[in-house]
Amino acid sequence: MSAPAIRVEHLSKTFQLHTERRSSLKERVVRGRSKDAGQFRALDDVSFEVARGTTFGLIGHNGSGKSTLLKILAGVYRPTSGSVMVDGRVSALLELGAGFHGELTGRENIYLNGSILGLSRRQIESSIDEIIDFSGIGEFIDSPVKIYSSGMYVRLGFAIAVTLEPEILIVDEIIAVGDEEFQRKCFDYLFKLRNQGTTIVLVTHSLGLAAELCDSAVWLDHGHMKLLGSATEVIDAYLKQVNQREAASSAAEAPEGSDVPVQVRSGSGEAQVLDVELLGPDGEPAPILLTGAPLTVRVHYVVHEPVKEASFALGFVHENGVGIAGTNTRMHAAVRDLEPSTAYLDYTFPELPLLPANWRLSTAIRSHGHTYDYLDKAFPMIVRAPGGEVEAGAVRLSGQWGEPVEVAAAPLRTPAEVASGAPGVTSDDEPSQGVPAR
Amino acid sequence: MTHEGLTPGTATDRPGPALPAREVRYSPPIWRQWNLVWNFAQRDLKSKFKGAAIGWAWSLVVPLATLGIYTLVFSIVFRMEPPVMGNGNEGAFVVFLFAGLTAWTFFSSTINAGISGLIGTGALLKKIYFPSYAPVLGAGVAVGVQSLIELSIYLVVLAFLGNVGWTFLLIPVWAALFAVFCAALATTLAILNVYMRDLAHLVAIALQLLFYATPIIYPVTLVPESVRGIPLRALIEWSPISQFVHVFRDITYGLSPGAWSSWLMLVGWTLAALALSSLVYKRRGGDLGEEL
Repeated sequence: MSAPAIRVEHLSKTFQLHTERRSSLKERVVRGRSKDAGQFRALDDVSFEVARGTTFGLIGHNGSGKSTLLKILAGVYRPTSGSVMVDGRVSALLELGAGFHGELTGRENIYLNGSILGLSRRQIESSIDEIIDFSGIGEFIDSPVKIYSSGMYVRLGFAIAVTLEPEILIVDEIIAVGDEEFQRKCFDYLFKLRNQGTTIVLVTHSLGLAAELCDSAVWLDHGHMKLLGSATEVIDAYLKQVNQREAASSAAEAPEGSDVPVQVRSGSGEAQVLDVELLGPDGEPAPILLTGAPLTVRVHYVVHEPVKEASFALGFVHENGVGIAGTNTRMHAAVRDLEPSTAYLDYTFPELPLLPANWRLSTAIRSHGHTYDYLDKAFPMIVRAPGGEVEAGAVRLSGQWGEPVEVAAAPLRTPAEVASGAPGVTSDDEPSQGVPAR
Repeated sequence: MTHEGLTPGTATDRPGPALPAREVRYSPPIWRQWNLVWNFAQRDLKSKFKGAAIGWAWSLVVPLATLGIYTLVFSIVFRMEPPVMGNGNEGAFVVFLFAGLTAWTFFSSTINAGISGLIGTGALLKKIYFPSYAPVLGAGVAVGVQSLIELSIYLVVLAFLGNVGWTFLLIPVWAALFAVFCAALATTLAILNVYMRDLAHLVAIALQLLFYATPIIYPVTLVPESVRGIPLRALIEWSPISQFVHVFRDITYGLSPGAWSSWLMLVGWTLAALALSSLVYKRRGGDLGEEL
């Protein structure tokens, strides 16, 4: 491990809480000095080091002290006690375009912002073309920024902060702005900066992003350091706790009985689903389901009148509203004649393939196109990740990756050549794009 | 808590020089912050005149209109007698007033612009660290640019009247002292105003009082020596701003180099203001990000 770029030692930050702030002279004179009502310890004895050229994540729920720590790292706040030392110029991205002045043009704002970030005129001049290019503002660069769209505003802000060769970059939740393309560009640029040796400190609520970007991380909880370590380790531990808490609170909130809202129910009613139980690996109802863990969906139903050739169906609807998967007993050649009774039926996953989301489950009892009972998205299914590794999409695929197999000098074609149909020759030291490197 | 020892190698087993040695806050000395100050000044100047039909001309119209109004009221209505000019010609009240008004405008505008400049930059100070005096000084520089234009017009008028002398060479010295004095006072008041927001109102009242308590629209000889035992004239004469106005009139209007004692006093007041401002900045200027 290389020498640290940032070194935080026994850092504490206390804010004064005045019940009524005496921020005016009149109040001070009239009521005297305010008696300190109390103190709020936003950070308590935090110590860590960030190695040069690595990316460091700050993780924790709201109010855990992440933002305070970030502001201290950016120099906006001074520590109450302890110290923060760095080995290079710190550039902070706490809010994009914070220093812009509406009446000034984009170009003038680059100079203003650059000088606020501590750069000389020459340094700014040497990178101004790169900034304008990166921001993609184009000809609008010489128009006042007040006419910019919010996207342009943010892009220019980001371009200034990252293009001015920061040695240490402090980033607060900023990746979530701009369109897809710009986000991609930001990521690529952060990676590039990282490879150039820029040390990055990042706060994000997106744990997937944190897992992707960070080498190491710290988990803050009410100003205390809960855990410091590699990013995956910290994120796993954090997620575990979040899952537990969510499970506890959703168990507490769960309504008594199983009253299904009437408006989601339709059908002729000869047979009806009463409830759906989601049973975890231990066979007990699980408020939070984990991707990859065993799951049994237990459908309780009642039959009021005899029903011929009935089939049961389950539908899994993703939180974005798309029905991702469905299954029914008819597909499995298990249609049944039902007699009046109360019973249940299980559908079992050896490994739940659904990825983390707030899913909804629909149930139906049908026969040859006739619906006896249909409950549309009536049952919540909260699926969470067991660890920090987050796959893309809605379901886990069951395919398998093979081992790389060397092929004797077969010419590979670049996507462009594939598209144009031209036969391609690829040099040895440059694997063509889109094909996994050898 | 697993933070001790998780990162291999803590303070004890690494050689000293490899440790990060810089404070987070990038704070070179004030004279190397000129770029930042100048950028704030440009921001103020540009935003002030962009979108205005006659742009820069406004910076002259307002002071000249003020000059015209005061001349009308005090020279015609009150029949104020201006002192004799340095070249022996009969005094012109409008020129006498011009000198005092130019100095006064710089003084009061620097303070007002500094106070509002720091409040206006508050949102930024919460996001990025930079020295809090920078927007105050930037506002001062922007005011200074306008004052320089007024000063040149004043000097052109003097030249036109044939009232020119070697004492003009002292103007840069005077201007440097005055600029530092005003900037220091503006920084002090701007920072304190963040902690006590109604200070700005008090300052506005104080400036109004000080305007009439300074021999700008009247010669100091018009003030009675004492009123009910209070040595009024001495009080007015010895106030720092009166001293600055007085010396400025001496070297331009009166074409005399001014008394040594007066110059010494200017230096003294400037140093005092500077000391006060650096004390306030050191103690209060660093935590504005939390207070704004």
